[in-house]
Amino acid sequence: MNPEHSHLSKKERRQLRRGERIAAELHQTRRRFTRRIAVWSSVLIGIGTVVFMIVKLSTQPPASGVPVVPSRIEITPEDWIKGESGSKVVLVEYSDFQCPACGTYYPILKQLYKEFGDRLQFVYRHFPLEQHRHADLAARAAEAAGRQGRIWEMHDLLFEGQATWANQNHPEEMFIGYARQLGVDIERFRADLDSREGKKAVEEDRISGNRVGVNSTPTFFLDGVIIQNPRNYDEFRNLLQQAIESRS
Amino acid sequence: MNSEISSNRPSRAVPNRIIASFLVISFIGFADATYLTAKHYSGTPLECSVFESCEKVTTSRYATVLGIPVALLGAIYYLAIFLSLIAYLDLRREGILSFTALFTIVGLLASAWFVYLQLFVIQAICPYCMVSAVASTVLFLLGMLALKKKRVSC
Repeated sequence: MNPEHSHLSKKERRQLRRGERIAAELHQTRRRFTRRIAVWSSVLIGIGTVVFMIVKLSTQPPASGVPVVPSRIEITPEDWIKGESGSKVVLVEYSDFQCPACGTYYPILKQLYKEFGDRLQFVYRHFPLEQHRHADLAARAAEAAGRQGRIWEMHDLLFEGQATWANQNHPEEMFIGYARQLGVDIERFRADLDSREGKKAVEEDRISGNRVGVNSTPTFFLDGVIIQNPRNYDEFRNLLQQAIESRS
Repeated sequence: MNSEISSNRPSRAVPNRIIASFLVISFIGFADATYLTAKHYSGTPLECSVFESCEKVTTSRYATVLGIPVALLGAIYYLAIFLSLIAYLDLRREGILSFTALFTIVGLLASAWFVYLQLFVIQAICPYCMVSAVASTVLFLLGMLALKKKRVSC
């Protein structure tokens, strides 16, 4: 017993003890409460920070794909070229008809071509990736249409129908349907689809891509120099605008 | 009487390292699924790489359920597991641990389904999705281990 409380009556002492006990409990409850607040707020802050970092990381453009020494590429007579030869700026795309990212860039490029058509030359090169099982065939379909002068129309149809034919087991029939739609000679198209020349043309594009360090699609070269993929229409537009202005 | 006491006390039978592994694994799963979710919502897939076939998996029609990306559901699942373990450590209610342990079956079944889709339907492997599948499996095993330890203690 606390000696300084000795002058108190028994009842008063009991009350005092009770008061102390309540105070102690209250103190402990308060401490527990503080601890709880501390634990949960640090957990939430921790999670928030991690989420923020991950989101930032995931939206950064990947740094890979750009070789340390940028190689310059030239247009060859075998290339599929859209636009007049006197154009100021040349944009080369290494692409894969079954790649969803290429499919995303397709309307962007189409719009850009509409806007800069007279000042821009656009080159399409095949870079069918291993994991896209119909990409090679699609590339050959474009080649086969190209032999009858309809490469760009086929290019457009392939990208517009990507979601449909990519999930089919035998997309040949769809490609032949596209050819029919374009009004080309179907027998010739069929033959060209499996021809050695068609396969060679696709393969040569792929080899040339490997040589200049292409390891993802789409990869763009602006005036012969590889560029980081623009993230949207406006970024791409500004890039082309700058290139055109610096030429004049 | 005995069981009444143990139901409100920290269980000695479920070792701390199981709880710690639970926290670590669910957090890894959460970070992984959050990354995939962020990728999903950041809009354009920027490129298809020679090295991986993630985009094929994450852009397939199996990647969303009623318009909600599966990755987001995964992130919510892992976060729920993580937070209920924190709640268990805070409140020390055995029921929370038991429920969480049983709940890991959901993750296991979902992961089994997605691995099946990747191997046999989409025919492409997405490394990030496989990390998540491993995390779910480990969580399930930890959950069963925790339940077993608890049962022994009763």
